[in-house]
Amino acid sequence: MSAPTFEQQVLDLLPRLRRFAIGLAGSPSDGDDLCQMTIERALTRRDQWQEGTRLDSWMYRIMRNIYIDEGRAGTRRQETFVSEDAGLGVGADGAQEARVELSMVDRAMARLPDDQREAVLLVMVEGYAYKEAAEIVGCPVGTLNSRLVRGRDALQALLAGDGPSGDSA
Amino acid sequence: MITEEQIAAYADDQLEGDEKARVEAAIAADPALAAKVDGHRALKAQLTGHYAPILDQPVPDHLAAMLSGKSDAAQDKTNGEVVSFAKERQKRGLAPTLRRWAPIAGPALAASLVLAIFQPWQTSPPLEGYAGEELASALDTQLAATQDADAATRVLLSFENEAGEYCRAYQSEGEGGIACRDAQGWEIERQFALQESQVTEFRQAGSLSDIMAAAQAMAPSGALDAAAEASAREQGWRK
Repeated sequence: MSAPTFEQQVLDLLPRLRRFAIGLAGSPSDGDDLCQMTIERALTRRDQWQEGTRLDSWMYRIMRNIYIDEGRAGTRRQETFVSEDAGLGVGADGAQEARVELSMVDRAMARLPDDQREAVLLVMVEGYAYKEAAEIVGCPVGTLNSRLVRGRDALQALLAGDGPSGDSA
Repeated sequence: MITEEQIAAYADDQLEGDEKARVEAAIAADPALAAKVDGHRALKAQLTGHYAPILDQPVPDHLAAMLSGKSDAAQDKTNGEVVSFAKERQKRGLAPTLRRWAPIAGPALAASLVLAIFQPWQTSPPLEGYAGEELASALDTQLAATQDADAATRVLLSFENEAGEYCRAYQSEGEGGIACRDAQGWEIERQFALQESQVTEFRQAGSLSDIMAAAQAMAPSGALDAAAEASAREQGWRK
């Protein structure tokens, strides 16, 4: 019996990686984009992963670093460039799907600062202990803990106060 | 004194020993604190439930393909077969790759097209593997930013490949591809057969975004902007 290959292990992690990516990026398409960049980077840097350490934490760290470094400048700028009214004339299907209907949770999450959103996702969705989440993010545990509190407070306020009225017409 | 951080950490089961005992005692004595703990746990349950369905979704084929070692095979060796990794992109319309490049490629993307990959030898350009006269002329002269919308061949975008050659992704009636300029001419690097999207039996074949994805994979520094493209044309697409 040989150990599963690096690729196979990443493949097994993919559903979870997607969940984190979609949560971070705010939409399935941007999340999958982030996933793709994460896999690319992980494959090129695979020799930096130490066998015996947790591959999931390593992958999550790569993903959040890409998101923080490039997501801000990349993903979001793309969205402003190519909003649905940019006249791209994509097929009707594509345009419709691009205009994703966001749920209240998605909208509330999108309004959190990045550091709070990642803390909330890592602990409350991915189920990491504070210490593990802090290692992924690269901050002290106390810092993670307080980001989490602020993120939670903001989410609770947004989800409690934000009825269907919102800013819609 | 119990802090908000401690309440949250308690709700997340992150406290141990004396600290946990102290917080537990405080919560037992104060319904307001207990309500906060409940609130934290309810929020956690809500978030977990919200994101849980993603775990059950099939992983998009193009992501799985990156790890199966079949990605290249699917792009290069498929003999006209349906390319499964394209299905996911097809379903959600514009791929992220495409959206990223759309500011540059925009005007050329007006048509919603689906394409089936086929082999370069299915067509026979004058010089084996190189663009024919008509295509070469379009590639030589047209700029993605300024070309006629109804040009027979439209250039989707231009970029530099790893070898430092100028390459251009193009689309014409029924086909599209990527050609790179070397000393002999425009060498066809990729070729795709295009089908109108309403031809449903080709729905699974792929989409224009596959050209874009292929182009992106070949372009270490991204697409040329309009100015860089114009200057490349002035140099005759050679360095």
